[in-house]
Amino acid sequence: MDKQLIPRGLRRTSFTNFLMWLVPWVLMLGVGLYAIYLCLAEGLFHTNMDNRFAFGLWIYLDLTVIALGAGAFFTGFLLYILRRDELKSVINSAVVVGLICYSGAVAVLMVDVGQPLRAWFTFWHPNTHSMLTEVTFCLTVYLTVLLIEYLPIVLKNRKLRQIPRFMVFEFQLHKIMPVLAGVGTFLSFFHQGSLGGLYGVLQGRPFAYREALGIWPSTFFLFVLSAAAVGPSFVLLITWLVQRISRKQLVKPEVFRFLGKVSGILLIVYILLKAIDTLIWMNYTSPESGFAAYMFYHAGSFGTWILVLELVVLGLVPAVLLVTPKMRARPGVLVGAALAACCGIVVNRFVMTVQTLALPTLPFDAVLSYSPSWEEIATFLAVVAYGVLLYSLSYRYMTLFPQERDLYQSSWR
Amino acid sequence: MFPWIYEFHWSVGHLVFLGLFFSVAAIVATTIVLALRRSRKTLADQGHELIQWKTEFEDLPAAVRVCRHQITGEAKERTCHNEFDCRSCAGHPQFLARRSPALASAQTREECYGVVLPLDRYYHRGHTWVKAEKDGTYTIGLDDFGAKMVGTPDAVELPEVGSTLTANGTGWTMRKRASSLRILAPVDGVVVEQGGADKGWYLRIRTEANEHAFRHLLRGEEIRPWILRELERLEYALSSDKMGLSLADGGELMPEMWKHDPDIDWDGVWGTMLLQA
Repeated sequence: MDKQLIPRGLRRTSFTNFLMWLVPWVLMLGVGLYAIYLCLAEGLFHTNMDNRFAFGLWIYLDLTVIALGAGAFFTGFLLYILRRDELKSVINSAVVVGLICYSGAVAVLMVDVGQPLRAWFTFWHPNTHSMLTEVTFCLTVYLTVLLIEYLPIVLKNRKLRQIPRFMVFEFQLHKIMPVLAGVGTFLSFFHQGSLGGLYGVLQGRPFAYREALGIWPSTFFLFVLSAAAVGPSFVLLITWLVQRISRKQLVKPEVFRFLGKVSGILLIVYILLKAIDTLIWMNYTSPESGFAAYMFYHAGSFGTWILVLELVVLGLVPAVLLVTPKMRARPGVLVGAALAACCGIVVNRFVMTVQTLALPTLPFDAVLSYSPSWEEIATFLAVVAYGVLLYSLSYRYMTLFPQERDLYQSSWR
Repeated sequence: MFPWIYEFHWSVGHLVFLGLFFSVAAIVATTIVLALRRSRKTLADQGHELIQWKTEFEDLPAAVRVCRHQITGEAKERTCHNEFDCRSCAGHPQFLARRSPALASAQTREECYGVVLPLDRYYHRGHTWVKAEKDGTYTIGLDDFGAKMVGTPDAVELPEVGSTLTANGTGWTMRKRASSLRILAPVDGVVVEQGGADKGWYLRIRTEANEHAFRHLLRGEEIRPWILRELERLEYALSSDKMGLSLADGGELMPEMWKHDPDIDWDGVWGTMLLQA
């Protein structure tokens, strides 16, 4: 039965090997589900968050995976709206990665809220002045869009497509993809932005507060741009990782280079705007709130090194490497720069979430400290395990890389 | 969320926010309903066969989608984007016009490395043939290449008499080992009689088609270069992952060839050769 489900003409590891690969991830997921059960059944005291440190590992994870998952909307935008057909070879993989990121984020949010059965309240009684309401609406609708985009990938499975209804529905769904890509881009613009705007409007947190551009703070636009910039890098990185693990060529090298180029150009623009934003904050916004900017970098272990790491080492350096054709042509540099860009976003979301809450908001306050409980870490790892499991199953039984068969057969020559 | 819900305000913020949300939700819902309605219509119109071929063709490797005029050497490099349907191809008539009549084969059959293909019929790229009979009907069968490659099928599922065939749709289905192989119909028509491997043909059909309807099928001098290419493709499909082709590969096609190396991924090989994704 297993062989009948694998796309024809593709080589996959034996079923036994595949099961062996799944076992540790299933165990990790099991532990995480137990931790989730504890948090939902007994209460959020199982976490180390409190009323002052309300955003911990989970929100940090949410922000990070949603930024990395932006590869799905941005690849779809480039392929279906800007007609960059070379991205056909990675769009399915990007959709699966996006689905994993967004569904994982929503699942963790449900645990974080602690009352998932009352999740509908936010829709029924929306506070339209809240950035979080906008995020909730957009995330929900975009997750629905991602599920619809994932559906044709599933229906194209070799066994399922033998059923005419599924095969025809998959074909018709494929035809409406440009509409869904447009909707996905629209929704992503707003929820990525609102996640950033969420911090930018915190007037009581001068480390995060930013001046408004129109009705949104500058962090709104910086979050959109940073997510769009690292999304292609994350798609590149995942594809490279799957190639290494499966020991097969899945896409042509020029696709990697194109993803790197797009990521590099957007990253340059982002770093430039982020630098301007930081300078304005240092010289005007922060002093006006009663704090000289340097004070934030003398609190606890958050020195200026974190700013240099985020903006230069994991921002400017990979951006320059990715936009330089000679550098981009070297696979090691390309993958390394993509990895650095993704790490840059991880650091940025850490700064925005954890550092923002840890830093004092009053002159006599001390730096708050927080370390996640095992339940929080297990829940975090459960999302990772769920992602690996869903991706592994999708890779084995569905066509995530349409060029794979072509490249495999070309490799004979 | 709605005007009759507690805390709803008739303010600009509420109206813009909820208006955008409901618009997006409506667009998503409409696209899904549209896809479902189109699917229902396609199934009702029996259009699923053409869709299956269209999607499978897109998934075929570029090496398989090579144009017939590249195979014959008339074009240097040309990939088909027309689902092997030369009837609607703009370039095909131009190639035919340039083709020299002197090239027409005087032979009655082609023999290449154990494959025998009579030239009194038309051949489909999926290894089926169609031949005009004296009574005005047409017989359809699996060519010698396909027959030798697959061997004797474990089971054959032929369409009922009276059922309609669509060119490039499912002609009939053969089961071999754990594989289910869809054999492509070379032309449109209505089944008037079922045959089998013992009769030398699988289906007899009646069709209103004229010469134009056979335009996408290979014939005459095209057969030899095509079958040579197919043999090469088969050799590559059978070669090992790491080594590729070697000097020892090749030779004549043998009946029931899968028995000589049953560990090969025959399902993949048959699928590749019979143009299935």
